[in-house]
Amino acid sequence: MRRWQDRYTTLFGVAMALAVLGRPIASVLENLVHPADPRQVGAGLALVTVAYAGYLAVVRAAGPVVLGAADASWRLLSPLSRRTVLGGTARTLLVISILGGLVLGTTLVAVLGAPDLLPLRLAAALVIGLGAGLGGMAMGVLGQAFPTWDAWLQALIALTVAVAVLMAVSGPGPGRVAAALPAGVVGAVACCTAAVAAFLVRRAWTALDRVPARAILAASARSGRVAQATVTLDPGALTWSVEDNHWRGRALRSRRWPVPGAWALAWQEARRAGRRPVRLAVLAGAAALPALAVTAGLSQVAVALTAMGTLAAAVSVTSGARRDGDNPALLRALAVGPRTALAVRALPPALFGACWLGAALAGLSVSGALGTGTWWPLLGPACGPVLAVAALRMARRRPIDRSMPVIDTPGGAIPTGPLLWGLTGVDLALPGCAPALLALAVRPADPLPFLVAQTLTGLALLGGYVALSAGGSRRRPTRNGRAPAAGSSSPNRRP
Amino acid sequence: MGLGRAFRRDRNRPGLVTVEATLTACDVRVDLGGQAVLRGVGLTAGPGEIVAVIGENGAGKSTLLRCLAGLEIPADGRVLVLGEPPADTAGFWREVALAGDEPAWYPGLSVREHLEMVATLHGGGRMDTGTALAAFDLDRRADLHPLTLSTGQRQRVSLAATLVRPSRLLLLDEPERGLDAAFRDRLADLLREYATRGGAVVMATHDLALAEACGARLVRLEAAR
Repeated sequence: MRRWQDRYTTLFGVAMALAVLGRPIASVLENLVHPADPRQVGAGLALVTVAYAGYLAVVRAAGPVVLGAADASWRLLSPLSRRTVLGGTARTLLVISILGGLVLGTTLVAVLGAPDLLPLRLAAALVIGLGAGLGGMAMGVLGQAFPTWDAWLQALIALTVAVAVLMAVSGPGPGRVAAALPAGVVGAVACCTAAVAAFLVRRAWTALDRVPARAILAASARSGRVAQATVTLDPGALTWSVEDNHWRGRALRSRRWPVPGAWALAWQEARRAGRRPVRLAVLAGAAALPALAVTAGLSQVAVALTAMGTLAAAVSVTSGARRDGDNPALLRALAVGPRTALAVRALPPALFGACWLGAALAGLSVSGALGTGTWWPLLGPACGPVLAVAALRMARRRPIDRSMPVIDTPGGAIPTGPLLWGLTGVDLALPGCAPALLALAVRPADPLPFLVAQTLTGLALLGGYVALSAGGSRRRPTRNGRAPAAGSSSPNRRP
Repeated sequence: MGLGRAFRRDRNRPGLVTVEATLTACDVRVDLGGQAVLRGVGLTAGPGEIVAVIGENGAGKSTLLRCLAGLEIPADGRVLVLGEPPADTAGFWREVALAGDEPAWYPGLSVREHLEMVATLHGGGRMDTGTALAAFDLDRRADLHPLTLSTGQRQRVSLAATLVRPSRLLLLDEPERGLDAAFRDRLADLLREYATRGGAVVMATHDLALAEACGARLVRLEAAR
């Protein structure tokens, strides 16, 4: 039963949210009365569509119907009505999809602008956003209950991505059409969206009683791991759980190692990446996002996307280094020196990071964000060694140290453990990429000195990192200290 | 395929040739958390010899194996593996194979690819990967990721990765863990064959039948007081 304190807290929270968000929302609404630039509209719509595809993908990955550990253990497998057990979850999903829909609708109207009839266009955009949010969530619930609906949801995600790509490559055409849509047409689209969303929500509510327990249990276990990883501040555990779940139960086509010796450690990353083609395609496609953000007039977002995407591309091929950092048993069985292993394992993140950054810079150059000059993509390969160092540092970092002190500042308390964990890798990437950042800042006519400086800085950093950090984790001192000579004869060696 | 043992000529007596011990541990003492886990433990193993270390839970069998692998520093005593103190280096692991707790499998690689990777990094295996898969009854699971397998099957992969590669000393911590009775007999055959080809085996085990089937010399560890 809710007490008066609960109601007071809710009301106080709503009042605070209105007080904090009221002015920014009013400012956004004031800016909407101007007609938008068609080029920016096209790119903005493409970004919104990508964000919606991401929302649908997260809904599908999360479940979305999940229960807490106690409910999953006791109430789910009891004679209670499934809808009674899942009532709380359904309300949570409703709130999440409404909030997501409102954000989507507001972004939509901010991108499209409202040259006339602002209240009608605003209401229509919010209805479209809410319809998309609720409809997507309802499809997620239906997909959890019926495989056919899951296939439909996957098709919708693929279609959304395809539409985003089309809008991104079509130039200002779609933007011009969308910005010039009469208010009546926008209203009609909103009505259709609302009708489809209502149909889907009704079907999902009916299907809630028939979601199989095994699907809920699997999703609950996943969400439980997410919660545990959040509570224990160990994001690494979560990513391993996702990675292991992906490979468990999968049949692979075994192939011989085409490279000799320690090079197989680098090839392992390439083989793993090649066996996840969808992820590889998403990563490759994401290289166009910074250019899209610049075209949409979001320069700061483009900078953030470039930095995050480059590091994500480099880190995506460091699974071997992470595995050996967590558990060196397999590396011992392979009998590879830690320095050799680290040097070889620097190759995949250097190549992936360099290619992604080169492609992103090429896109930014084509979109005119970097001024004249066709040499900008060369900064990608020049930054490769630094990106490898940053990615390996991130892959080999220990879990967050919660015993580190919390520093009180006028702006609030700063926990140093998560801060240091978050900065590991970035701490070397930023100074290591200084020549490239300087080139981006000053836009020189002759890029050669910057390219040479960046390449030399990267190689020196990588060499120093491999030389200094390779021995630490595996070598332990023995009492007498002497190691046996390498390469002595072995009677069990095959002739 | 015949494989030679490690021989050493005695410089003081030129006519005499002695078999060099693969592993020697003398008077080893290990304290953990202020408690003595091992005290005055000695052990030797020569080429072609299988030694089974037995004892109740907490007697220090796994700790002793960790000392022999250079992963634990004895507070006192002396350990020599192939004439040198053990060290966690690539050179050491080229000669010594350790199977203890389950390793962390690389994502995206099948059972066969894991075994081939081990053989590739050692410049060739003791046996062909296909032969190893058949010997460990894994040929029908070769294209699966190890995490798809049962506990016992993963233990077989772990042992196969240890035996497919060349080595002179095998350190096994409870190799019988999760294995069915039929496969334990086959494991005994594989270990005997390894020893016949000149390798030394030291295993900590609770399975006396396995030790007996291997023809192992028993070394009993008593809990240190």
